[in-house]
Amino acid sequence: MTDSALKASIFQRLHPRAYLERFVAEDIRPDGRPFDAWRDVSVNVGSISTADGSALVRLGETTIVCGVKAEIAEPELDKPDEGFLVPNIDLPALCSPKFKPGPPSDEAQVLSDRLNEVLSQIVPLKSLVIHPSKAVWVLYIDATCINYDGNVFDAALIAMVAALRNTVLPKATYNVETGLTICSRAAATPLQILKAPICMSFGVFDAILLADPTAFEEPLLSTTISVVVDENSELVSVVQLGPGVDLDGEDVLSTCISAAKSRRVVLKGQIP
Amino acid sequence: MSLDRRRINGPDESFPPVFALDGLQGTLASPRKDRSPTDIRPIFLQPGLISQANGSAYIETAKTKIACAVYGPRQSRNAAYSETGRLNVEVKFTPFSCARRRAPMRDAEDRSIAVAIHQALVSSVRLDLLPKSTIDIFITIIESDGLDGCVASGSVAASAALADAGIELLGLVTSCAAAIVGRDIWLDPTEGEARFSNGTLVLACMPALKKITSVWQTGEMQVTEALGCMDACQEKCTEIHSVVAQALLESPSLK
Repeated sequence: MTDSALKASIFQRLHPRAYLERFVAEDIRPDGRPFDAWRDVSVNVGSISTADGSALVRLGETTIVCGVKAEIAEPELDKPDEGFLVPNIDLPALCSPKFKPGPPSDEAQVLSDRLNEVLSQIVPLKSLVIHPSKAVWVLYIDATCINYDGNVFDAALIAMVAALRNTVLPKATYNVETGLTICSRAAATPLQILKAPICMSFGVFDAILLADPTAFEEPLLSTTISVVVDENSELVSVVQLGPGVDLDGEDVLSTCISAAKSRRVVLKGQIP
Repeated sequence: MSLDRRRINGPDESFPPVFALDGLQGTLASPRKDRSPTDIRPIFLQPGLISQANGSAYIETAKTKIACAVYGPRQSRNAAYSETGRLNVEVKFTPFSCARRRAPMRDAEDRSIAVAIHQALVSSVRLDLLPKSTIDIFITIIESDGLDGCVASGSVAASAALADAGIELLGLVTSCAAAIVGRDIWLDPTEGEARFSNGTLVLACMPALKKITSVWQTGEMQVTEALGCMDACQEKCTEIHSVVAQALLESPSLK
């Protein structure tokens, strides 16, 4: 590392806000992107043979692996014709120095809950029934963050949706006499998936809208906004944390929604 | 079973699907079909994938996929003064890494793998140069194909990650597993092969110094067989050493 590069990285550690302000004053971000630019997305599905469906997603440096495991259980008494969808995200100590080993951090719990909210709209629980009130599928959707470089929610949602689309369920038959469910590998069916939601997140820093914030930018943002849009550009979910700001006379939220919709069209070909 | 409120919970009980005509169990092709007994599976090693960590490595040997990150040396969290540094190894299986789903709670298997990898590495690190510090090694097993393979590949990845982090080492640690099947030595066994073997042995060594750092033997083995396994493993470790060294030389973080 050269002397000036070392000085810059010390300055970044000690005065993160001033460091970002200097970049913003020059109309650029520390990683060289313009304010409204997104990082590259790559999706790789089906590489994990122990999972029933899997996906590896990279959003810039952020990396998420997701695997779906299908198991069989008895349905709840009050919902005899509904299966289970159990999405969880793990942010292990491996992915960033800010996490410690142990039970899920607050951030992981919040992310899991928001992912659950979106995913419950796209997989019809009634399609997971094998035999009403006797046997249903349980889909455990587990995502693990391998590298935490910001905007984990967007990456995790892409990974979970891609893993679900990659999932095939074996044909299961419930035998009424023996009470057993037997599966057959020969006939497997893909899951029924209603929508293709993609999340796009933004952050506000000093009245400037930054798309797809990195791990360095995230703690400096006053407001973060996540917009989930499906393939027909319809809103699935919107979350704003922090105060609203006016940008060029328009509220930041409506700016984000229109930016997310145009980004969704760009991603159409790139994400399965 | 207590409910874990920090996670999204499914039903109280669920079972993996049962398949009709599961005739695959209980057989093992002997002699080995896809490779010779002394062949190991190809290793793909990529240092420096995890940008947030001080050092990292990703290793893939056929089905086994392991990510490893090194954080530190950083200040020890407990206040007690210690003249030498501490090496802390944590291993985590992803829930989808094995044939049966692993519920995300600590079981004994992660611990035993962590201890084995710690043992393989600890004598290679210059901990005497790092008083009051801790080096944390976090290993996530994305897909597993046998415990022995995980210990061996995990040790190789962890040593490469330590080198990637620029931590002073006496030498790179490489590791190889062997199993006794019938009367033969099969190197780098898969999960199925290890299950049908009489015993397995995992050897870790520093090929550059010609020193062994750890031997982990389980199951039934004659002394001559164990020694034979160790010789065969050590020979392979030298080959693995050149693979690791090459991967480190080519890694962008060192350029």
